[in-house]
Amino acid sequence: MKLATIGVGNAGSKLIDQMIEFEFETGRNLCRHALVINTARTDLAKPQHLDEDRRVLIGDTHQKARGHGVGGDAEIGAEVAKTDIDEIRRVFDDVEIHEVDAVLVAAGLGGGTGSGAAPVVIDELQKMYDEPVYGLGVLPGTYEGGRPALNAARSLQSFVNKVDNFIAFDNDAWRSRGQTIEQGYEEMNEELATRIVTLLAAGEVDESEVGENAMDSSDIMRTLDTGGVSSIGYASTDVTPAKEGLLANFKETEEPQSESTDAAKIKGLVRRATNSRLTVPCDVSSADRALIVFAGPPEVISRKGVESAREWLEHEADTVDVLAGDDPRPDSSTLAAVVLLSNVTDTPRISEIQDQAVDAQNKIQEQDAVREEEIQSLITDDDNDLDPIV
Amino acid sequence: MKIALLGVGGCGTRIVDQFVRAERRTGRSVTGGNVLAFHTESEPLTQTTALSTDRRVLLGDTHPAVLRRDTTSSPTHTDRPNASDNPQHPSGKSATSNHQDGGSSRSQTPVFDVNEYGVGGDPDVGAQVAKADRPEIRRALDKIDETEAAATLLVCGLGGGTGSGVGSVLLEELTDIYETSVYTLGVLPASTESNQRAVTAARGLRTLVPRADSTVLVDNDTWRDDRDAIADCYQSINSMTVERLLAVFGAGEASTSFESELRIDPADISRTLAVGGVTTIGRATIETNTESHGLLARILRLLGRSPTSGSTSVSASKIKKLISRAVTSKLTLPCDITSADRVLLILSGPPDTISRKGFETGRYLLEEETETVEVLAGDEPIQNTTELTATVVLANVTSVPQIDQLQRRAVSTQDTASTPHSTEQTETTDHVQIQSVESPPDGDTTPAEFDFDDVDTASETTDSSEQ
Repeated sequence: MKLATIGVGNAGSKLIDQMIEFEFETGRNLCRHALVINTARTDLAKPQHLDEDRRVLIGDTHQKARGHGVGGDAEIGAEVAKTDIDEIRRVFDDVEIHEVDAVLVAAGLGGGTGSGAAPVVIDELQKMYDEPVYGLGVLPGTYEGGRPALNAARSLQSFVNKVDNFIAFDNDAWRSRGQTIEQGYEEMNEELATRIVTLLAAGEVDESEVGENAMDSSDIMRTLDTGGVSSIGYASTDVTPAKEGLLANFKETEEPQSESTDAAKIKGLVRRATNSRLTVPCDVSSADRALIVFAGPPEVISRKGVESAREWLEHEADTVDVLAGDDPRPDSSTLAAVVLLSNVTDTPRISEIQDQAVDAQNKIQEQDAVREEEIQSLITDDDNDLDPIV
Repeated sequence: MKIALLGVGGCGTRIVDQFVRAERRTGRSVTGGNVLAFHTESEPLTQTTALSTDRRVLLGDTHPAVLRRDTTSSPTHTDRPNASDNPQHPSGKSATSNHQDGGSSRSQTPVFDVNEYGVGGDPDVGAQVAKADRPEIRRALDKIDETEAAATLLVCGLGGGTGSGVGSVLLEELTDIYETSVYTLGVLPASTESNQRAVTAARGLRTLVPRADSTVLVDNDTWRDDRDAIADCYQSINSMTVERLLAVFGAGEASTSFESELRIDPADISRTLAVGGVTTIGRATIETNTESHGLLARILRLLGRSPTSGSTSVSASKIKKLISRAVTSKLTLPCDITSADRVLLILSGPPDTISRKGFETGRYLLEEETETVEVLAGDEPIQNTTELTATVVLANVTSVPQIDQLQRRAVSTQDTASTPHSTEQTETTDHVQIQSVESPPDGDTTPAEFDFDDVDTASETTDSSEQ
């Protein structure tokens, strides 16, 4: 697939940057266009793989933003994006949209810029283009608290209503002991970039290398066509490509045995991908459609394995709409299986965020209601005997 | 966050001066030279070391109600040991104060009184002077580059006639001309300072708080230390104040600070303070440079992930405790932290010591302890330090016993001056009772402050000092 990508806010921008880095490292070419949008000048400078003219500062003339961020306020995030929508559209003019299959908008949903501005950007993209627009959203962790949960719950609604498919990533799933803040975010971004790029980059290679079982961009898009929220699973294993001389000859003689081992390996890989950490934990059987991409040296992808893995997932996901295909990477030393579960409807984490958000909203409203009164009562003595100075 | 910093009165002038020095020392650029000090008395202005002459503004020098040092013979009191050091916290006048404080439990503590120079502690005179000198004030404000500053912070001692009086008018002026936020930092007088100063402070609060976008308060009573000399005591309060202000407004402004994952943006600060009301700041620090232990820290260092050799990763639970300590230990103004409206957490220290889990659980703990969901949090990586510091801003706290006490004291002082004694006696008794119920466990004030005798004599003293 060929993508135009837009990162909105700090988390979204770093994700896009990480995706580009992963592409470079693995010789893929997914993100044909990349753009980052932010309300904070300092954060806009962080991505390393984007040219200066691919960074858009919004809200620098807005009274409450002024290029210093929006302070986690999604309303202001949306407001400044609307005000500066021409600026965004202008930068997007450079994108040769017919060269890409789809647009991907990445954002963190807990902050103010990503949750507020991204839906506005998506609205505009949907107006401008016929190509599908996918969302990639990072959900805040439980410990990020009530305000991020409220931003996320509200933004999630906008995202899911506006995009063709929303790929969710749960921050909590990648928390681990002993990380510094920097490491924590770096690792999360790496994990997510690996999954997204491995999945979406399938079907982009030259004609010459395309095998008959190769995954095609249109297959991926068809799977994503369901709308709703999607989750991605991933597992990989080291393979040692043995193509030369004696070893290769030797291997061919061992073919029958190798075939069955490889088949078991492949099925095992898919099981691992599905049962290990999904980008957002969900009940697999609630998936509407599913798709498996095998990325690695073509010779280690056993047909038998692919078929049995597909059947297994069909059973697990309780849907007949399961596609499986290869993404041949002859030079790769790993074999990766990516499982896309499209339109999963049973995601406990999203329900949790919604509950947390409702509580947060109630608290915020309570505070708003008594704020002025409480300030007055604090600074006034009981009988109002003391006069202001001026 | 880049701010314009304006000091009013002796207290404000000294804090601004000290802030500029601290900024230079720590390599943070917060004011960028956008500073001014206003006073009705020349000496505190000339005693500053970091403010150039054109940044010091003397007001009211032709006003009839202003007593100028250069044209007046020495005031009646010769024993003013700290007058020059602490004009904002007027010096102890031992000769007159001993008798008036006779019934108090801390008769050995000097009673502070209003400064006779300048506006003589009278905020109404201060306001008059400022209004008369509006052109002078505007001319001075022209020196502030508004485009450079994201907000303005006005610093004043609320007990002083200049701080509260001139400060009120100046704040009015600032909110009229600037479209950016104007915050105030007010210092509340200690219970050992005169009742007149309590009245001024209580009235100052009523004036400043509704008008400012937020009012950060420092309570002298909470922070004074009886053992220290008065000068040292206020010196240390000012240092504490400057340190915390710098931690908040200077977050992310250090020239050496490198990329932060969760940077505190100026918008985070302004959103936290946007609720208005009274704000208090807490802070706690731990040393990170402890003995290296743990396999992970060693491996990380071997892998070169730990650029500051010697410091080790601080455990998550330690960070959580640190954050908790920042709100449970002394705040600039003690309060019921559950009454906070919005909260801002800044965790600064060597980047390899800030555990993500510790940061997140600590942040969540704040949400639970303060009972608000509006908690913004960020990290500030600082390379060359061995300290890990948590600074917590509690915005719009509404349950503040110290303010209630101040108001009661102010009201009874005011009443004593204008009503017969018989009704006063019962009212004062009521106040004492209420106060003992509401007094926080660590409350420093004693009911003796409400003694009728004390109130009575102090108001006499006020009169005498103004003559």
